[in-house]
Formats: sequence, C-alpha cells, structure tokens
Amino acid sequence: MKAKESKIDLIFHTMKKLKSKFIHIFVLTVFITAGCDGLLDINPEQSIDEEIALSTSDNVEAVLVGAYNALSDDDLLGGQLLFEPDLLADNPVTNEVQWTGTFEEPEQIWRKDIQVENGQVAQTWIAAYNAINLTNNVLSALDVVDADIRDRVEGEALFIRGMIYFNLLKLYALPYSSGNINTNLGVPIITTPTSEISEANEVPRETVEAGYQQVLEDLQAAEGLLPQANGIYASAPVVAAILSRVHLQMGEYDLARQAADRVISSGNYALTPTYEEAFNRTSNSSEDIFSMQVSEQDGANSMNLFYATSEFGGRGDILVRPPHIALYEVGDDRLSLFYDDTTATGKWKNQFGNVGVVRLAEMYLTRAEANFREGAPFVGDDPINDLNAIRGRVNLPLYNAPTDFDLDDILLERKLELMFEGQLLHDLKRTQTDVGNISYNSGQITYPIPQRELDVNPNLEQNDYYEQ
Amino acid sequence: MKKLRFFSSTLILLLFATTGYLHAQTVSGIVTSAEDNEPLPGITVLLQGTNIGVATNVEGEYDIDLNSDQFQNGILTFSGVGFVQQQIPVNGRSQIDVQLATDTQLLDEVIVVGFGSQIKEKVTGNISSVSASDIEGVPVNSLEQAVQGKAAGVFIQTNNGKLGQGIQVRVRGSASVSASNQPLYVIDGIPVTTADLSINAAATNPLADINPNDIESIDILKDASAAAIYGSRGSNGVVLITTKSGSSGATQFDVSYAASTSQPSGKKDWLNGDEYLELFNEAFANSSTDGTINGTIFGFTRDGLFDTFIPGWDQGFDTDWQELAFQDNTSHKFDLSASGGNESTTFRVSGQYSDQEGIIIDNTFERISGRLNLDHTANDKVKIGTNLNLIQTVNNRLSTDNQFSTPIQLVALPPVQRPFNDEGEPSRQTVYDNGLLYRDGATFETTVFRALGNAYVNYEPIDNLIIRGELGADVLDQNEERWYGSSVSQFTGAARGAADNRYVRVTNITSQAYANYIKDITEDHSVDVTAGLSTQQVQTDQVYVSGIDFPNDLFRQVASAATIDGGTATNTSYSFTSYFARANYSFNDTYLFNISGTIDGSSRFGENNRYGFFPAASAGWILSNESFVEDIDEVSFLKLRASYGFTGNAEIGNFPSRGLYGAGAYGGASGLAPTQSPNPDLKWETTRQFNVGIDLGLFSDRITAEVDYYNKNTEDLLLNVNVPASTGFTSQTRNVGALENNGFEFVLTTRNFVGDLNWSTTFNFGTNQNEITDLDGQVIEGSFVSRAVEGQPIGVFFAREYAGVDPDNGDALYYVHSADGKDYSAGTTNSFNAANRVVIGDPNPDFQGGIGNTFSFEGFDLNIFFQYVYGNDIYNGGGTFQSANADFFDNQTKDQLDRWQEPGDITDVPEARLLGGNGTGESSRYLSDGSYLRLKTVTLGYSLPQDILDELSLRRVRIYFTGLNLLTFTQYDGWDPEVNTDFTASNITLGTDFYAAPQPRTFEVGINLGF
Repeated sequence: MKAKESKIDLIFHTMKKLKSKFIHIFVLTVFITAGCDGLLDINPEQSIDEEIALSTSDNVEAVLVGAYNALSDDDLLGGQLLFEPDLLADNPVTNEVQWTGTFEEPEQIWRKDIQVENGQVAQTWIAAYNAINLTNNVLSALDVVDADIRDRVEGEALFIRGMIYFNLLKLYALPYSSGNINTNLGVPIITTPTSEISEANEVPRETVEAGYQQVLEDLQAAEGLLPQANGIYASAPVVAAILSRVHLQMGEYDLARQAADRVISSGNYALTPTYEEAFNRTSNSSEDIFSMQVSEQDGANSMNLFYATSEFGGRGDILVRPPHIALYEVGDDRLSLFYDDTTATGKWKNQFGNVGVVRLAEMYLTRAEANFREGAPFVGDDPINDLNAIRGRVNLPLYNAPTDFDLDDILLERKLELMFEGQLLHDLKRTQTDVGNISYNSGQITYPIPQRELDVNPNLEQNDYYEQ
Repeated sequence: MKKLRFFSSTLILLLFATTGYLHAQTVSGIVTSAEDNEPLPGITVLLQGTNIGVATNVEGEYDIDLNSDQFQNGILTFSGVGFVQQQIPVNGRSQIDVQLATDTQLLDEVIVVGFGSQIKEKVTGNISSVSASDIEGVPVNSLEQAVQGKAAGVFIQTNNGKLGQGIQVRVRGSASVSASNQPLYVIDGIPVTTADLSINAAATNPLADINPNDIESIDILKDASAAAIYGSRGSNGVVLITTKSGSSGATQFDVSYAASTSQPSGKKDWLNGDEYLELFNEAFANSSTDGTINGTIFGFTRDGLFDTFIPGWDQGFDTDWQELAFQDNTSHKFDLSASGGNESTTFRVSGQYSDQEGIIIDNTFERISGRLNLDHTANDKVKIGTNLNLIQTVNNRLSTDNQFSTPIQLVALPPVQRPFNDEGEPSRQTVYDNGLLYRDGATFETTVFRALGNAYVNYEPIDNLIIRGELGADVLDQNEERWYGSSVSQFTGAARGAADNRYVRVTNITSQAYANYIKDITEDHSVDVTAGLSTQQVQTDQVYVSGIDFPNDLFRQVASAATIDGGTATNTSYSFTSYFARANYSFNDTYLFNISGTIDGSSRFGENNRYGFFPAASAGWILSNESFVEDIDEVSFLKLRASYGFTGNAEIGNFPSRGLYGAGAYGGASGLAPTQSPNPDLKWETTRQFNVGIDLGLFSDRITAEVDYYNKNTEDLLLNVNVPASTGFTSQTRNVGALENNGFEFVLTTRNFVGDLNWSTTFNFGTNQNEITDLDGQVIEGSFVSRAVEGQPIGVFFAREYAGVDPDNGDALYYVHSADGKDYSAGTTNSFNAANRVVIGDPNPDFQGGIGNTFSFEGFDLNIFFQYVYGNDIYNGGGTFQSANADFFDNQTKDQLDRWQEPGDITDVPEARLLGGNGTGESSRYLSDGSYLRLKTVTLGYSLPQDILDELSLRRVRIYFTGLNLLTFTQYDGWDPEVNTDFTASNITLGTDFYAAPQPRTFEVGINLGF
C-alpha cells in the first residue's frame, strides 16, 4: 500500500513539474470531485462486517432470529422438508397422491427415481447447513450474551441445530430402524462456525449412531436450558415434542412417551375444538407446539404452493387420489377438509398461513402408541383416552375398550391425523413398513448425498443405492 | 458511406457554386486520375481556409470563381475519397489541370484509442474498427448486433430473439470464469453503464438505449497494449464508441424513415393432433399395467389419465400452438439530424424515434433519443465542448424462457387441446397454463430514462501540449412495472391480481484529466505522450414494492392493492481511481514504440490489495519504409508489430472480500445472518496478453491484410468457488485458478473493381481456443449441463453420453464411461444413474467471422454480408420435454415419430413410455452442432442522380431495402442456432437452448433524404 502510494505521488509530482498552473487546476478539479483516497472507502449499506455481527448481546440474539429465519426457509420447514418426504412416502402401487406438477425434482422424488443431481435434494442440504452454521455462530458467541438470557439463547440454538440434524439423518441416511447404526453413514456433523474456508472444511459423514447422539445431546441440553414457555420460539415443551419424535425414530418407546407426556402435561397446549381450526392459521393455534411463522411480507409456505389449488394461491401440483380418501371412516370430519372433489387437502389453503411443524395431536398419538407398545404402567394416560381425544374431535365413534383397537389402528389413526404434514415417511421407516413394493430400508427412498457436495468435498461418500 | 460523402460534398459545393461571386475571376481545369488518365467526377475543389468550393462534373471539369486576392494568393485543395489530396497555389492561373494519385494509404485513417487517437499506420496494438457505414441502416435492436461478424475475434451472441434482451460479447474469448466477461464500453471517452438491470433472470441490455445512427465509429481495443490504459477494466477488451460530430459548413439536414417487418428465422416441426394421439396412445400402452391401451398407469385408465391432463383430447382439435406465439409486426424508425457550424463552433443535433415490434406476441421496444454534440474553439488555446444524449426507451417485455407464460412455451401444449374456449377467451383447460392468458391478462413494461453526456475543456498552454479536463455522467433511471390480472392467477397464485413496481437509478460519474504532448522532435524522432488520472463512482439505488388483491382488473398500480406483500429499498456503490500514462515514440516513421502503465484502485478490494498496476509495451516496424521493401513494387505497406502487457478485471460484486452479515426477519423480529465468508486477500484478476501481427498492403493497397496471433493468460481468477455447503456457504470469491485463450485473427480487404463499378470484399476470420488451466481442482456448475472444469474450455457440456436405443427392447442406452472420462470399454447401460457424466460438447466456437461484399454502380449500392460461427455445440435443455418420446404430455417434436416400436428397430428415439422416463435425463441426446452460416444482411440502395437532385433542390435521396438474417445454414434443428436461453445465460452457461425465441428475419425499406 505504501509503495503504491509513493508511485502515485511520483506521477502527481511529475505532473506538477510540468509547471503549468492549468494542470493544477485540472488535477485539483478531479481531486475535489472525487476526494481520491476517500473515494475508495465504500461500505455496504445492506450488510455489516461479521465481527460486528457477533459483538454484542443484541446482535447475537439477532443472529439467533436469523437462525429461525433460515429454519423457516422454503427448502426446510417452509415446506420442502415436509411435502417432499410425503411424496417419497407415497405408495407407488396404490398411489394415494399424485405429483402432477412440472418441476422435475419433486417428480423424481414421487417416482422414487431421484437422480444424484436433483436440485431440490441439494437445496435442502444447503439450507440445512446454512441454518446449522447460524446456530454454531450463536453458540460460539455466548460469552457476549447477557447472562440473564444466555441459557435461553443457547437452548434455542441447540434446539434448532439438533432438529436440523435429525431431519437430515431421516432423509439422507438409512433409517435408524434398519440397524447397522454404527456402520451406516449419517451426515457430516459440524459444531463450530465457519469463517475462512479451507480443506479442514471437507468434513466426512459420521455414522447414523453418531448423528443421533448429536441430536440427543443438543436437544436434551436445550430442554434443560429453555423456559417452559417462549412465545413462537423454542421452549422446553417444544424441544420435548421433537425429542419424542427422535425417540420414536430410535424405537425408544419409553423415552418417547415420557417426552410426549412432558409436552401434554405442560398444560401449554390444547386441541382446537374442531379439526379444521388447527390449520391455515396466521398465528399459532392452541394446538400448535411449534410452527414456522409466515406473513404477507415474510416467510415461505411451500406447502400452500404445492398442495393448494390456484384458487388458494398454490400450483395444485399434488393431487389426492381416491385410494387415500377411501382410508377414512364414514363421518370422519377430517374428510370434509378435502376440496376440489377431494383431490386437494385443505390443510394448506392459506397462502400466508404458518407452516406447522408439530402440534399437540401428534403428542397424544405418540403417547398412545408408545404406551401401547410398552404397556402398563402407562405414562400420562391410558392409550384409549389419548386415541379418543383424537377420534372424538373428528366425530368418530369412540373406543370403548382396549380390545377395540390394535397397533395398526393406532398407526392408521396417526397416518390420517397427520397426513400431508411431513410425517408419513418417517413413520413408515421406523415401523419398518415398506412403501408399496419398496423396502422400508431401501436406499431408493433415501435421498442421495447431493452431487454438488460430492464434487467439492472429496471426503464424502455417496449412499450405496446411488453408487450402483 | 464513402459514396454518401462523395455525393454530399458534391452537392453542397454545387449549391455554393450556384450562388456565384461578383467581380470574380474564374479558374477552371480538368481533374484526371494519375493511374489511367480518366477524368474524375466528384472531386472537391476547395479554396483553402474558406467555404468556397465546387465539384468536378462527369467530365472531370470544374470552374471556380475567385476574387482577385484569392486569384493571386489562394490555394486550391483537390480531394476525393480514394485519392491523395493535393494543394495547389493558384498564382494567378486561370487553367489548372490536376492529376490525382490513387490513395495507397487507406491505412492512414485515424482511429480512436483510449484517451486519444492515433493514425492507424502507427498503431502497434490490435484494434478492430467498425465504421458508421457498417452500422447504419441495419435493422437491429442494439448496436452490438450491427457489429456481429464484422470485427475479427469479437464473438457477439444475442441470447434470444426478444427485444431489449441481453447480448453476450466476447473479445478474444472468455477471460474470466466468475467475473464479467463483457467488454468495457466507453462512449465519447466516458465509461457507460452496461450491466444488466432486469427485475427477472433475463438480462436487459442498457446499450439498446443508444441510437446506432449516432455512431461514427466503434473501435474495439483487443490486445494488452491497446487496453492496458483501462487497467483493471481492460481484460475483456474495451469498446470505444465515438458519436458523430458536426463539421464546419452550411447546415446539412438528413432525414430518414424506415419501415420493417420480421418473421422468426426458424421454426420447429411439431406433431399434429393425429400424430400426437398416435404417439401418446402407444406411450400409454407401453407404460400400462398390461401393455395395452386397456391397462392402467398409477391406477388410471387411458381415458382417465388423458381426461385429467389433456381434457378435450378426444374432441378432434388440431392446434398449431407454435403459430400462436408469433405476431404480425411492423416497425418504424424515423431519424432527423442537422449538422454544421463555422470555424469556431461545430454542432450536430440528432433525434430518433424508433418503434420496434418483435416477432413474439406482446414484445415491443420503443426508443426516443435526442443528441447534441457541440464543439467550440474559444481562442488559440481553449476549446470546449459537450456531448449530450437524452433517451427514453419503453420495452414491453416477456417472461423468461422458462416460464409457461413466455409465448414460445405455447409449443409445449398438445395439439389436441384448443387455444380458445367457446367465448373466444384463452382456454384454461390445457395441460400447462395457457400462455395466451398472459397476452391480455398481464403486462410487463420497462421504461428507461437516460441522460448520457460529458463536457470537456481542452487547453493548449504551449504548442503540442493539450490538457484536457472532462466530466461525464451516465444517469440511468429505470422503472419496471408488472401487472398480473386475475385471469392469470393460475400462474401467479394471486386470485385477485398482483402487481409490482421496481425503480432503479444508476448514477455513473466519471471525471478525468489528462495531458497529451505530441511533437516531432526532429525529422526523425517524434513522440506522443499521454498522462492523467480518472475516477469513476457508480451508485445504484433500487426501490421495489409489490401488492396483491385488486378490486378488479382495471386497477394495475400497487396503490390499489389490498395487501402489500413485499417491498425493499437498497443502495450500493463502487468506485475506481486510475492513474495512467502512455508514451509513443517513433523513429523515422518506421520504428514505433509504445509503453503504457495504469495504477488502478477500486473500492471492491480489501485493504490488503486495493491497488493494481497494469503495464504494457508494444513495438512496430514499418518494413515498407525500408529500402529493401520499398523496391518491391507489389508491396505498398508492410508492418510487423508485437505487444505484451497486463490488464485486469474487477467486474465482481461490490464487497466480495468481506465477511458479511445481512439482515433477515422471522416472526416479526429482525435478525442477522451471514451472507458471505471473508477473504481479505482478494485482489485483481490479471490477464497477460501477448500479441504479434502483420499489416500488409499489396498492389497500391488494393489488397490489405492483417494477421494476428495472440495468447491471453488470465491468472488469479476471481472465482466464485463452490465450497462444501456443510460450511453454511455454497461459494466464495477467491483468487484461484487460471485460464488461457489463444487465437489467430485474419482480416482481408480487397478492392476488386475501382471505377464506375466498385466492388470490394472484406473477410475476417478469428479462432479462439479457450482452456481453463487451473481451478484448484474445483468444478463449477452452470445451469443444465454446463460447467467449468480444469483442462476444458469454459462452459463445456458435462452429462451422460447417450448411446442410442437398445434394438431389443427400446430402452435408452448410455455409455458407462469411467469417472475420469470417456471410456467405451465398459459398454452401455440402460440405467441412467449407472452411467458416468463426461464432457459431451463445447459451446465455444472454433472460429467465427464474416464475409462482406460491397458493390456500387451508378446510383446503386449493394451490400451482402455473411456471418459464420463454426465448431460450437448447443445443448437443448428443453429437449427433455420437447423430444422425450412422449414421456409427459408436452407436444413432441416431429422426429419423435421415429421411436422404437418393435424388436429389431434401429433408431435414436427410445420406446415411447408415458411417465416412463425412458431416455429423458440430461444427456448428449439433446446436444447438437451449433455451427452456422448466415446471410446476415443484404442491402440494396439506389441514390437519385445529381441532375434530378438539382431539380428537387435536394442534396441526397436514397431509397433502400435491407434484409436481416435472410438465410441461415445450420445443422441445428432448434429455432435458431444463435441462442443462449435468457434465464440462465452466464459466463458458464453458454450455448444452451430452452424455449428461447428465435432471431428475427427482418425486411426493411427506407429512404434517406439530405438537404
């Protein structure tokens, strides 16, 4: 820098030596208009330097909000992380739904013919790690966070990170239920923030087991750090709700029912009076445990985009087919939510509605199933009561005795209650239920590691199914 | 143009002559050619230092009336295009016969260089010049299109045939992977705004604002020696545009009017209704449960599936959707200019109104341009001037090529569906949303107001030294308004309408001061030194707002929306400061030397590397001035030249070196998120270029040729390097990698006939081999199958190689290959995923150029110009829909009828399988040779002879016909081989088609009047 300035001075002085006052005038004109040195000092107006971003407690809290925002991206819980697994879960023999849209990527997913370059598979991966990096940034800067909110900030960041790893493991790795968890590969686990990028960032995949341990570690720590209520953000019961899913996925039914029970017994939530009221909300319902907030100006709702017809601002790309409708008992209120000749689900009609992530009904179903599997003494309540809470609301006949239902009934109830909410694929895999003629643990219903990621990270291995 | 000058000068002087002078003494004589003693008509005879002049008649005779002082002391200047000017003192003679020698120094033209001009003969760098005559009257949308094929080594490609759209210009190949590859454009000394400002993914072209008829010359600085004075902005070449200025003399008015109409340059063949049903019934049967039309697919019967997707399929409709994408069109262009002045002040005022209708429905471009170029000599030492251009353009734009709403995508709709319902409204019962709904239901209007100008002061404190101070501004205001009515809600999701409005202002201010010293120190030594500095500051402001839910479709402004669903305002700036110097030294007019150096600073780089230094040197040797060549009669001019130097490229984002956080929001709370990882050492991308060339003139310059070889090495690429997404980032701008361009350029101009019949031919040819030599092991993906990868040219197509169809079962086959590249030993596979991707093609041409022939005879002028591009490939990204053996309900290209049907069939089209994905992945199946030879322009003009003009009291009348893109010879079976689909066009995604609108084939008639 110094050397270059002197060269400039040299030119400047050489010109001066030409001893024409007019040169001075011209040169000065330029310098005055330009201000020369200062001219090159321009700062961005829509961004700040990273040192500033993590320098104060308020700023770190803002980065945490950024992490929620990243989590709500349409490639994650804004929709793609929910409806694409739904497509992958669709039975290719009976076809309860049909992809009718033109986007190639979801069509491949629906056809169970995912190509390694599938852009959506890459986008979800990219968005997930973007959100993870945000949480890692927050966690790295906890020491500047005010002491009175530090636990909450840490807990929320851990929750977001744990939940994203959980979702990545469910999609990009073979299911926990297929065993070999110490050899089957999960995803890269990254727990430090990224600054300058080097070869050290070419992180390999950990095993499925290591991944689940990370998820448990993050979520259990988060539950301990978080308050019982925290507005639209993560609280202890929110974490417990996700933990109940993790334990279910791992086949740990006792822990699952305990986690679900912690949510129910928190008293924070209540089923909405009618099924319909649980959906298309612009703010959380009494039943919502955690949902992605969407407004006209902010947030994405890909569920609406692909499930709703154009009348409701969507593309109507996912058609519900008669084989699905046939699963409902006559008189089931949930049937009345379908529209367009029962070809569209009514859960996602609000273009600017929130995207629900987990709601109380699932906790009843989880507790019921886990209690049913584990047997008495029941945690929280008898499965029959939990199931009747769900059935009663939709005007289905109540069960009178434990002999009225079996595990299949519970799982069907769960499927119909939570259909089109992104849970089906994971329930099928954990219960070792094949997707039509495709084995529950087939790589065919697992995402490939995105080709773009393999291209830039030599330490990554592709899933076996996509290596043939 | 030469012809025009000839006529105009003749006419003016005739007018002067008729005014007559009292008490005059007459000088008369005959002007003949020294070559053949034939009389020369149209030679200007001018009394030096005055406006008094005449022209010779058809017998070469002239009479000029002079007063007695002039008769004794005056000097007559005899001049004409193609002849060496002579000055002869009258010395009281009343008869002066003159023989004019043919001008063997056509190279003697002056060409514009950065911060000055030079005699072409003495130029030691490589500069391509295109003159007004090459540009005028070519019915193009933007000036670059008129240069297409006319400058060796300059590859110009329009993305598609929509008006006002992006154009890619590559001077000697792509010099960068991630930074811009477009040249720097400098109009009358001021760098202008050319960056894309479009609201959507399809680039717009701010150069389309410029009235091509205002342009006097375009000089393209190609080698380092010529471009290094533009330092960090010179790597991609520099295009210097000089606008026309006035010259002293009586005011001349020129009026032109032209009308034109255009058709698509090509169409594709699609299935008709019967063929469609035949193919799709077969495709259904092949995919159905029982292999017949009576089976089911996903539980659907044939009728059920067809009713769901293509309702109306059984109604006997037969729609030619392609025709519906195009419109009948008429374009008008009206030009008016006046120029003139006296000894101290000259001016040119011009105006244009141009109203272009495109070939695609709803596509128009209107330009209103006014320009004033004024120069005033205040006294011996001071000259001031200004160029001022005010422009308004209105572009009715279309959706990007990947939208159903873009008209060309209508071709995707099945012929068995009808375009309009019984009420005559666009049908909504189509497999994809009917783009015709957009015709009435949506608007997209981009309005640009632009003020482009500069003011300068030249001060000459001592002889030979000129100091120039200059301030330039290019202020571009762009307003984009889009409205989507309720009738297009199926596209937009806004049942009661949507609208948005974006406003951008780019303020581009340049100030520069430099001194130029030219002196012949002795007879043998002459110097030309330029030094100075310049600064450029560019600020871009953007405001955007969008709304949905309107009372009805008559309300189209966001103000009437019930819900404002989006809004933003941003501001960003960058700046450059340059200190530059150049010295030319020539010895004996034979040995030429040039050195230059520029120190550039830019706000775009971090503190560590804010300044860069870009030196260059060149030398030339005019052999024809040496005795051992002078004796060779055939050789009229011979020069060897060589140059070497450094240029830079800084066309990247404004703050790429910093680790940044941007704002975001969630649930009503504001948040922060990292947007970029830091790289504090980021510096300039540097290009080293070596150029060696020969300029040759033979037979009194009846044949001239230029031959050049260059080698262009770019290092420290400003690369957006893909990084593992597990970092939270997908790419980072780094100085990584290198690439190389090598090429050979050849320009040949011959004057085949000179005399009554003039015939000249120009031919240019340029090769370029691009190779990325180092990307630090990275692979950078473009769109579709384009990528940048080491050891290959930029933008190679990387995909599976299609191996045709298995004759036994109709399966599509792919070569297995190995992960390292082509390897046919492993045979073929019908599993798409089991095949490895390899380089299947290259979008960069091996060579390209143009051939022009110009004839003039009596009052007729004829120009025939061919442009050619050879050796490039085109990847049709739309092929997976258009030519997919009935995989989905898109109408198919006619060649899909050649599908495999029974064992033993040998064909390239796999068995038709509805929803079967048989051969529909991205592969070389959709790759074609993109070479073409195009009859780019044909112009036939007729100018009225002088005697008629005299009667009409007009200076000039010319009527003409011009045809553009009349014929295209190509193997490409898409719409047009000049293609790079607008929504993905980039440095890496080249030569990719995706429902891109074809180029127009235009027929124009026009008239030029001068008085």
